[in-house]
Order: sequence, then C-alpha cells, then structure tokens
Amino acid sequence: MLAVRELNKTYDTKGRRVEAIGEVSFSVADGEFVCVVGPSGCGKTTLLRCIAGLLPPTSGEVHVEGKKVTGPPDGLAVVFQEYGRSLFPWLRVADNVDLPLRAAGLPKAKRNELVAEALESVGLADAHHAYPWQLSGGMQQRVAIARAIAYQPRVLLMDEPFAAVDAQTRADLEDLIRSVWQRLGVTLVFVTHDIDESVYLGQRVIMLSSSPTSVAEDLTIDLPAERDQLATRSDPRFTELRGRVYAQIQKAKQERQ
Amino acid sequence: MIVLRKIGLALGLPVVLVAIWWFASAGSTDFYFPSLEKIVKAFPDTWFGPRMVNDVLPSLLRLAIGYVAALVLGVGLGMLIGANPRLRAVVEPLLEFLRAIPPPVLVPILILIAGIGSTMKILVIISGCLWPILLNTVEGVRAVDEVLTDTCRSYRIRGGLRVWHLMVRSASPQIVAGARQALSIGIILMVISEMFAASSGLGYTVIQFKDGFRIPQMYTGVILLGLLGVLLALLFRLAERRVLGWYHGIRAVQKER
Repeated sequence: MLAVRELNKTYDTKGRRVEAIGEVSFSVADGEFVCVVGPSGCGKTTLLRCIAGLLPPTSGEVHVEGKKVTGPPDGLAVVFQEYGRSLFPWLRVADNVDLPLRAAGLPKAKRNELVAEALESVGLADAHHAYPWQLSGGMQQRVAIARAIAYQPRVLLMDEPFAAVDAQTRADLEDLIRSVWQRLGVTLVFVTHDIDESVYLGQRVIMLSSSPTSVAEDLTIDLPAERDQLATRSDPRFTELRGRVYAQIQKAKQERQ
Repeated sequence: MIVLRKIGLALGLPVVLVAIWWFASAGSTDFYFPSLEKIVKAFPDTWFGPRMVNDVLPSLLRLAIGYVAALVLGVGLGMLIGANPRLRAVVEPLLEFLRAIPPPVLVPILILIAGIGSTMKILVIISGCLWPILLNTVEGVRAVDEVLTDTCRSYRIRGGLRVWHLMVRSASPQIVAGARQALSIGIILMVISEMFAASSGLGYTVIQFKDGFRIPQMYTGVILLGLLGVLLALLFRLAERRVLGWYHGIRAVQKER
C-alpha cells in the first residue's frame, strides 16, 4: 500500500516562502490504478517527487509498503515526463532497459530475459540495438516504460508521461499502460493534467486544488474494467465523470484568481 | 567517391605548398635554407636508424605516459571537484592560478625536484596537459542532466555504474574537448622538456643538429614533428568517433529536424 499523510512542501527562497503543497493526504491500495489530476502549476510533480523519495517533504510522511520513505524506496519505479532526458543517450535501447537490472546485480541470463520480454511487451522487440535518439518521441517513452517494466516494480509512478507526444501516439500509449497494469498487477500512480486521460485510465481520480495544494476530491471511476478508446469515451458515464472532474478543476483555478 | 574527394580536399593545399617549397628552394645555395630536395634526401638516414629507437620512440613513450596520466588524473579529480560544490568553491581559484602558469617555466623547478631524467619530462607534460582536461571535466560534471540524475536515484544505479554511465559519459563531450587541447599542449611540452638538460629525444636531437650546423637534418626534425602531430590528431579523431559516436549522432538528428 501507498500512503501519503499530511504532506507539506514549502520552499524557502531568499526570504520568500512558497508553499507548493499545503496538505495532501490519500492512500492507494495494492494493485490500484490512481490518477492524480490538477490545474497546471499545482505541484503535481513536486508531490510525485516526494512520493518517489527524490524530494524530502517539509512535513508529513509518505509510506510505501508500510515503510516510511526517506529516499527512493525499493520496488518503486518512475517514468518521467522528459523521456528524452531520462534515457541514457550513449546506451542502446536494450542497455538502457538493462542498466537498472545490472545495478540490482541480477544474473546475465535473467537480465536478458527480462529486457527481451519488456521490449516485446511495449512493441519494440526489433529496436534493441537502436540508440534512443534514433527513435520517435513516442517510441522513446515506450523504452522508458519498458525499463520500468523490466525493473519489476511493485509501485509504478508516472509523471505526465504522455504530455510531450502527439494525440494518436498518446492513445496507443494509454492502452499500453492499461494492459501493462492489468498484466503486472502493480500499484500505479499516474500524474496528468489531462482530464480525459485521468478518467479514461484510472480506477480513481484524485483531484488537486491550486497551490498550496490539497486534495479537492477523490472520485471513484466506476467504468467497466475493459476500456476502449472509442466505446469508453462515448459512454455517457464517462462524459458524466469527465464533467465532474472538469468542474472541480475549473473551481480550483478560479479559487486561485 | 566521397571519401576520395574528401582526401583530395584535405591534401590539396599541403601538396601545393610542398610543391612551391620544392621549386622555390631548388638549387638553393643558402646554407641556412637548403633545398627541400636535400632535406628529403637527408630524412631516411637521419631518422630510420638508431635514432628511431634512441630518440623518437622514447619521446613518444614519455608523451604517452604523461598524457594518459594527465587524462586519468584530470578526469578523476574533475569528477570529484565537479560533484562537490563546496570543494569546487575552495579549489577553483587555485586551479585558475595553476592553469595560468606557463608549464615551460616549471621545467627549472622540476629539474631541481626530479632531476633531468624521464621523470622530469613526464612531469612537465602532465603539468601542462592536466588543466584543460581537469577544468573541462569539472564543467562537464556540473552540467549533468537533473532528470538523468533522478533516474539513477530512482533505479538505484550507484557506485561504479553511476560514476561511469551518469558522470563520465555525460561529461565526455567536454572531456574530449579538453583532451584535444591537452594533446597539442603535450606535443609542445614533449619537445620543450627535451631542450633543457637532456641527452636524448626529439627536441634534444633538433637542438643538436642546430648546434652542429647540420641544417638539412634540423629541418627533417621539424618536419617529423609536424608529421607526428598530424598522425596523433588522426588517431585522436578515430578515438573520438568511438567515444562520442552517440553525441555526433544526436547532433546530426537535431540538424535534420
């Protein structure tokens, strides 16, 4: 389980205190798919970096699998928004996926197996020997996803992973993530600013307020588990849920002004 | 075809200049400016004999040892200083001071400390080659991408893998730029170190020829040094192509887009 308790993050910069996150609390059950959505500039990335153990919170705690997070926790992987900067440009695709496994000290045969499986599952079975920068943006993000899959995390955090890819690639990647989640049974926290995406992907949508951030609403997405870009998005219930999230985000924006 | 044209373009001007030199100096009776024909004829006898083993190879060996030592020392210290802001603040002014000292001026001091043998000459080469490599490495390490750093932390890539794949490879374009400067400095210092209190080496031999009024032989020494410089630059390029293949690849891709 993943739990965020009364998390606060305040930046002190030259006599000016900026409260990026006011107070955020929520929990995510094992194997759950939760989307976190909020207006731009609401501290989504800050929150995710705190959960990932990359940024210490000012107060409050994050617990992953019952343990307090003080640094990057074991069994947790992150897919960053900037795929171009999170892949090693001097390593070929397969070596990028392999590097965390090497660091974990897995035997070579096991690593090869995991790398091949992961690349296969994101549809890049024939890209082993390419360099990341030889691939399109969408394919690069697939490599980053493959790296996360091969790492076999129990918790997967994704920070607006599709913000920089085109709309069609984005739809494909959304379905890819759904299928990866269903297959691996990981706990998934997906941060996005895209309302449609948050409703389409998750089992729950946590809406954040504007900065200083708090949880504005925690909404269960009661859509059928089988999602389809056409059928799901034209489902009246989808439209309803989407409207609700939209209204909440608008409210959050106005409160700030 | 393209390769042939490239070679043609590269060699065109030197060939023209050599031809001009050849004909302009033909039949020269000036003792200090012998004809190129005389110089070329003196070349094999001067260098393809015991001098190759007694003077040329020892010079090159000292250059190689000094250069590699400067490379190891410069990259190692550069990593350390670049990764520690506090250490950098303390040593940076000192480094700027040391870099500003022309290395030939150190020769008398190094003779007092290390005598007139090979050790002194290697130390002179190191004292000149170190700075461009060290300072460039520091800059390169400072510029390591934050997302890539976060990626390493998240995926628990630590120790040697982190130093190599995150720091050294990230900084490698700057390291190579420093190493290129250092190579030309190294060749200069190889010669200079042999002009003081030496009994063998390329620089020593050229001075001997001058003092013995063996003018054509003196010119062959200068030409040999030039040729060695070109050869080393070519070798450097080959090495760079291997080490920075990814970097030039990215730049080519960015140009296309």
